[in-house]
Amino acid sequence: MSDMQMALTNTAGITSVMSFWVFVASNGFKNRKELLVKIGSWALTLAFAALTAAIITRGIDAQRFPLANLYESLLWFAWATMGAYLVLAKAYGVRQLGWLASLTALLMFLYGSWLPQSQHDIQPLVPALVSYWRWIHVPPLIVSYALFFLGGLSGFIQLYQAGRIASLYTAIATVSLAILAVVLGTFTSVETAWLQILFAGASLIGMVISFRLLQRVDKNRGDLKLAETYDDVSYRCIAIGMPALTFGIITGGLWANHAWGTYWSWDPKESMALVTWLSYAAYIHLRVHRECSSEKLALVSIVGLLLTLMTYLGFNSLGLGGLHSYGNFK
Amino acid sequence: MNTESEKIYDPKTQSSLKNALASVQLTIFLMSLTALTVLIGAWCPQDSANGKEKVVEQFGADTAKLLTQFGITDIYHSPFFLSLIAMLTVNMIACSFLRVFPRIKLLQKPLPFLSGRDIGKLPVNTSVALRGNDQSALTALAVKLSGRGFKVATNGDKLLAEYGKFGRLAATVTHIGLLTLLVGVTITSWTGFSGFQPVLLSSHLDFSQSEHSKLWVGKLPKWTVRVDATHREDHPTGEPKQWFSKLTVLDPQGKELKSQEISVNNPLSYDGVDIYQSSWGLDHIILNFNGKEERLDLRPMGKLYAAFLPLDQNTVMLFSVRADGTIKIFAKRPDWEGPRQLAELTRDKPAKLGPVTISLVKVVPVTGLQYKCDPGLPITYIAFGFIIVGVLMAAIPHRHVWVCLETAAPQGVCAGNENKSQEEIPLASKVLYFGGRSVKAKVGFERLIKTLESQIASEFGLPDQKSEKNEQSAGEIHGKVNSSQNRKEHMLAGSAAGANAKDAGGDS
Ligand code: HEM
Repeated sequence: MSDMQMALTNTAGITSVMSFWVFVASNGFKNRKELLVKIGSWALTLAFAALTAAIITRGIDAQRFPLANLYESLLWFAWATMGAYLVLAKAYGVRQLGWLASLTALLMFLYGSWLPQSQHDIQPLVPALVSYWRWIHVPPLIVSYALFFLGGLSGFIQLYQAGRIASLYTAIATVSLAILAVVLGTFTSVETAWLQILFAGASLIGMVISFRLLQRVDKNRGDLKLAETYDDVSYRCIAIGMPALTFGIITGGLWANHAWGTYWSWDPKESMALVTWLSYAAYIHLRVHRECSSEKLALVSIVGLLLTLMTYLGFNSLGLGGLHSYGNFK
Repeated sequence: MNTESEKIYDPKTQSSLKNALASVQLTIFLMSLTALTVLIGAWCPQDSANGKEKVVEQFGADTAKLLTQFGITDIYHSPFFLSLIAMLTVNMIACSFLRVFPRIKLLQKPLPFLSGRDIGKLPVNTSVALRGNDQSALTALAVKLSGRGFKVATNGDKLLAEYGKFGRLAATVTHIGLLTLLVGVTITSWTGFSGFQPVLLSSHLDFSQSEHSKLWVGKLPKWTVRVDATHREDHPTGEPKQWFSKLTVLDPQGKELKSQEISVNNPLSYDGVDIYQSSWGLDHIILNFNGKEERLDLRPMGKLYAAFLPLDQNTVMLFSVRADGTIKIFAKRPDWEGPRQLAELTRDKPAKLGPVTISLVKVVPVTGLQYKCDPGLPITYIAFGFIIVGVLMAAIPHRHVWVCLETAAPQGVCAGNENKSQEEIPLASKVLYFGGRSVKAKVGFERLIKTLESQIASEFGLPDQKSEKNEQSAGEIHGKVNSSQNRKEHMLAGSAAGANAKDAGGDS
């Protein structure tokens, strides 16, 4: 990694930490709120610009499209999260999402920086990845994952604003346990079978309880108008994430057909992407049919977030490799 | 609340079977069940990809047996999964023909122009009291709307603008794509075949060992493929760079039909069958020991290949084949520190080891050929196109804006800003009412209307209004754009904030 690239990546990391704390602070100081939110947004914009430059520098250093291993894909994920937030903030004026977006980017930076040095170094590509299809197939997937994350996070804020506090806390605990399973799976040698149980068990039980707790409404919290805004934001994220995911899956099929003559081989990661795709297709149908309250839809978007996490990071870290195990480095 | 699909498809007038088949609840249930099944398939190693051993290794013999019994190790071919797909297909066909495709007709039906009173009932609406009496505000609004991609139609003092009408075909396009995909996949599974065969130099590839599905009705080709030459190219480091095979297609009588050199990513296509270079190796060497030919099988050893020839209990002869075709001969005994090189052998230079003369007859390479015939592929690709375009279209928000220029109503109740007292609007002046709806991006739409409102107000509005508009913060929307749902409440509260447009859309 060149010094330039290191400096840019660190700038992006540090400014996203800053922006996170400024956004958090903006919720504490009511009378300075506007100003703090503005500073937070500026910091995030700076982080975004620095990360864009870092990724370009990495591409120049490596003399190839810089999206070939887990570390690089995390940089892209953080980039897409910040970029999508900035667009949403401009279009919708959603400020609360800011601290969740910078938190997500920051967690991805942390996760990336804990990866072994071999991931940070620029290494030659394995022959399977030497193809122009790599930059057609992978970026839309990362962008869709980032959008689905933002969609799920908007779901959290929506639950808060709609006063569904009990349900919200359960959902937060669920997602936290799932993240814990992924982190343990990546950085420790805990038996993966246990982690699979932790991830699946927590998700299943947690989400069932969350759905149950939806009936409990705390009327004194939140703001229904904002709840509706976040409902809309969540839907926009998913409505745009869905074509990106579709494009990514299909171009993956075209690549596979081009490289070894079959467009679908039920590889675990492929299948997992299909699961995610089907669950968001279900979301869209629930949505256009409107049989469902928007709080229920928020929870469905959080289920989607869990599935996205599973597809993106869970599969390799929880020991379910397959063809796409280049993300696996142990 | 009445969605348009319900207008087209009224469950009450249909038989209960039709209702069940065209139910979107069923769709969601089946999709979730399919997702769960695929999830299990992703978790459990599948026979087709890894063989049974992987399952046993991962779960132990007993659990593996149980998983096999329940069909989980081959879940994508299980009757359960196939019937799930069949049910989804039936459900989708029923829905498509009863609910989705009929909407195309609906799109052609023109929408009415609305009066100020009706505009006031729209989910998002507002009004601006104008300074002048002419139509310039209306014209300006029309220009602004078409600048933002709206299709604008005018009728005197009324205007109707629509955005993203095209996006309403999303469901139709996506579903046609999905149905097409099923057709493509079915054609392939009924008539296609595939396989892998390692073929020695000068031998033939035939299709007798190909794999195909249970319901197969296809035909295997009678022609065969001969490997005329095959070689590999290396990087300077010794890593393989590319593999090549020169292939000739022969008809049953042995007539040559086509010749081509293939390499990785550069297959031979003949009669609907594609033949790919998928692996490469050296298979065996034939050596001549004092006039007697002997075949020795080669094994890959790192970047090289080697053959072993045991001489007695302790001594092994080792023939190591280099990339340039020379062979080094070693001997190895347990009491030696490492193998000792005895001689070197090339094609035209035999080696003499004591009384034995060894000469190289030939090195026989093997080329790994993957083949497939996928007659449904073009249809599948068309389906991919439809699906991508369809889901993209689904992201386009569909928006309507109605505008009406009217003389201000005496009570000011027709629409818009209830909190504006009557005196603010001089009776003689005109009021521009506008509002609309958007289901997929409500908040963005409210912002759009708000922006238009303040632009019109500052350009054409009464002065007092102008200052008022400019006070609105650009932050999260608490603004003055009204929602019909909560209008009464707001009148009482004297505030125009808040909206519950959730159910107000009237279309999707
Ligand atoms: C398999 C059975 C399926 C059935 C029975 C079904 C049924 C429906 C129905 C009834 C609608 C509503 C049409 C309307 O009111 O405009 C719809 C919309 C839609 N469906 Fe499906 N669908 C199925 C599968 C899928 C899948 C797998 C996808 C993949 C993404 C999909 C994508 C869409 C899209 C994009 C829309 C339009 C949504 C919108 O207007 O925003 N459908 N579907």
